Amino acid sequence: MPFERLVLISWARSGDERFHVDGGAFWRQHEGASSPKSIMERRDLLRALASAAALSLLPSERAMAAWSRVAAGLSPTNGLSDTQMALVRAIADTIIPRTETPSATDVGVQQFVNVIVSEYAADEERTAFLTGLDAIDARAQSESNTPFAGLAPDARGKMIGALETGPRGAQPARTYWRLKGLVVHGYFTSEPVMKDVLKTVVMPGRFEGAAPVQIKKKPSQVRVPPSEEAMLHG
Amino acid sequence: MADSYDYDAIVVGSGMSGGWAAKELTQAGLRTLVLEAGRPIDPLTDYVEHVQPWQMHFRGFGDRKAMERDQPIQSRCYACDEVGHKFFVKDKENPYTTPADAPFNWLRGRQVGGRSIMWGRQVYRWSDLDFEANLKDGHGTDWPIRYRDIAPWYAHVERFIGVSGAREGLSQLPDGEFLKPMQMTAVEAAARPRILKAFGGERVMTIGRVAILTDNHNGRLACHYCGPCEKGCITNSYFSSIAATLPAARATGNLTLRPHSVVAEILYDPKKGRASGVRVIDALTRHETVFTSRIVFCCASTIESVRLLLNSKSATFPDGLANSSGTLGKYVMDHNFGSGAGGSYTGLLDKRTIGNRPNGVYIARFRNVKTQHPDFLRGYGFQGGADRQGWGRGQWMPGYGAAFKQSLIDELGEWGFWGTGFGESLPRESNRVTLDPDVKDAWGIPAARIEVRWSDNERAMEKDMAITMAEMLDAAGFKNVRPNDGMNPPGHCIHEMGGARMSRTPKDGVLNGWNQAWDVKNLFVTDGSCMASTACQNPSITYMALTARAASHAVSAMKKNEL
Repeated sequence: MPFERLVLISWARSGDERFHVDGGAFWRQHEGASSPKSIMERRDLLRALASAAALSLLPSERAMAAWSRVAAGLSPTNGLSDTQMALVRAIADTIIPRTETPSATDVGVQQFVNVIVSEYAADEERTAFLTGLDAIDARAQSESNTPFAGLAPDARGKMIGALETGPRGAQPARTYWRLKGLVVHGYFTSEPVMKDVLKTVVMPGRFEGAAPVQIKKKPSQVRVPPSEEAMLHG
Repeated sequence: MADSYDYDAIVVGSGMSGGWAAKELTQAGLRTLVLEAGRPIDPLTDYVEHVQPWQMHFRGFGDRKAMERDQPIQSRCYACDEVGHKFFVKDKENPYTTPADAPFNWLRGRQVGGRSIMWGRQVYRWSDLDFEANLKDGHGTDWPIRYRDIAPWYAHVERFIGVSGAREGLSQLPDGEFLKPMQMTAVEAAARPRILKAFGGERVMTIGRVAILTDNHNGRLACHYCGPCEKGCITNSYFSSIAATLPAARATGNLTLRPHSVVAEILYDPKKGRASGVRVIDALTRHETVFTSRIVFCCASTIESVRLLLNSKSATFPDGLANSSGTLGKYVMDHNFGSGAGGSYTGLLDKRTIGNRPNGVYIARFRNVKTQHPDFLRGYGFQGGADRQGWGRGQWMPGYGAAFKQSLIDELGEWGFWGTGFGESLPRESNRVTLDPDVKDAWGIPAARIEVRWSDNERAMEKDMAITMAEMLDAAGFKNVRPNDGMNPPGHCIHEMGGARMSRTPKDGVLNGWNQAWDVKNLFVTDGSCMASTACQNPSITYMALTARAASHAVSAMKKNEL
């Protein structure tokens, strides 16, 4: 068994089973590892990296083809409607806004959500998810007389805060949490974020079990107040 | 010998055991034909360990609909995912049946290299606690061998494959010839002494002993810690038959490797009382061929080997080849696993891991080592590990906005630990593999019918696993400790064993102490089907050691003209 995988899947299972699988060591973020250590001779590493690059061509091309299909609007025959897409975009960028690094929609998270909805979800899951999205918009409509996407940033934050506070199993919170899982997953597994933000090192060349943490911050259950959120957007 | 044979030796299967048979037999000078039912594997184009999630259409979730259609059983395995599914069989081509009340997950790879490509890589020697277990409590038949018989072969295998690990001096988990151990994570290292102290030194957490190179070894490169070994390794850093044994066999010039070769039957010559060869169906053309040889090594994997022997019927052996004992197909086992506990650790936040360690920690068996537990026989070990949560925690953690995003980029979550028990299940006659009277595979070969159920002993053990793992985490200072006594169905551990067990007498089993069929002297079965009990350790290294030992015996018997 891959133990890290086991750990992470176990963690994932404390959340929502199907949509919250972290995926484990495969795409966990790495830090540093700028130069391969003497564990592997440089010549060998270069050879291995060349092979790795050659390897990655096939799936990459396949993925690109699939994505261009999505981009051309060909694939998702039963995916998100334009209204639902606007909602997903708005929620995604409220969860992960643009800062000095890209926002969720900057890296195409909405397209990943659409792929999961249209090509991965079972019919009943898709129906429940889309119904939940509509319910979120209906709530915004009834509370503020506008779809969610039409809300000002602080009002978006307030509504998401409310969705996160209540029981996670009840609609539309259930849909929201599934969406949030997809947004986070889609963001951190995107090419720009893995390469430029997380600076993922595919072949770290070493393992350290007790390396010092460079950025010393207390891991937080971050809850940004709507006002601060608005300020950051401002 | 006047007869002419196509080959000196035929090896059925190219995986963990078949690769070792190929290496040892070819190095002894035998012209050896290795028959593999599946396709050839080219690491340059087939291995996918470095494919990144953004290169996958479903970002690692997998093509669920295709998997549900083509691999509904295989996809229950963690390794059968969006890019790794290629190393698992198509379920429709490879059917098997079970009684409705006895689910069994048969997780299989048919390709050159077999499951040595996707295996878990954990390697632990057995001890006499294991080899004497059947004799002592009366379940199953006594092993015809003891630790002293296999110890030199463990060393032989370890030296070749490269095993990293730490020496602990435990009688129930003998040390091997190790490369330097991988590091424990900060929290594992902190937990070890606390657990030792809390349980009188009886519960020992050690770094996983793993067939992954921590230094360059025998022409293979040290691990580069990318993480997902089960998807292949372009640097050959973990042991697989493709990386190590098959190349060694090829280097002798004595190897013929034939992929797409589905062995339908081992042929028996009643005049000589010997296996004469095999009947092969070409997987692509369905064309049938017969190959003859002086000896046959059956290394097709536990259930496949049993199925092959059951399908090899003759007037002499109407119930399956080498089955005069009537035990063929019986006493099939797996490790009962799934129970354990998890917890989180609030300290050591100034430490983190770097790199992806494809290994975890191991807690050696402590139950029924010195004293007898009132509720169950035999024992179990734990495998697990601790690491910090990454961005994945953002999927269920409350929060949104710039600070939420930045925390997922810059910070790590708490340390979490999860430990899962791997238990020794009892050998039971009613747990068996037979042939399904109706269902055939894509090549017209009768399919296996698998009937394996857990017993009260395994259930009692599972309960205890959840309790002991939780109490260890508690003693080590973990918070939010969550015991879990969920049990997986048999097969899910992918440590299926037995069905053609070794025994001390011909009436008690299929194989003697040299993995040689009691009834058919030139037939050797050296994969997991030979096992008379399961111990609680991962079994692959024992298959490898037994295979090398059997090959050595076969070669010396041939030299003495006994075969």
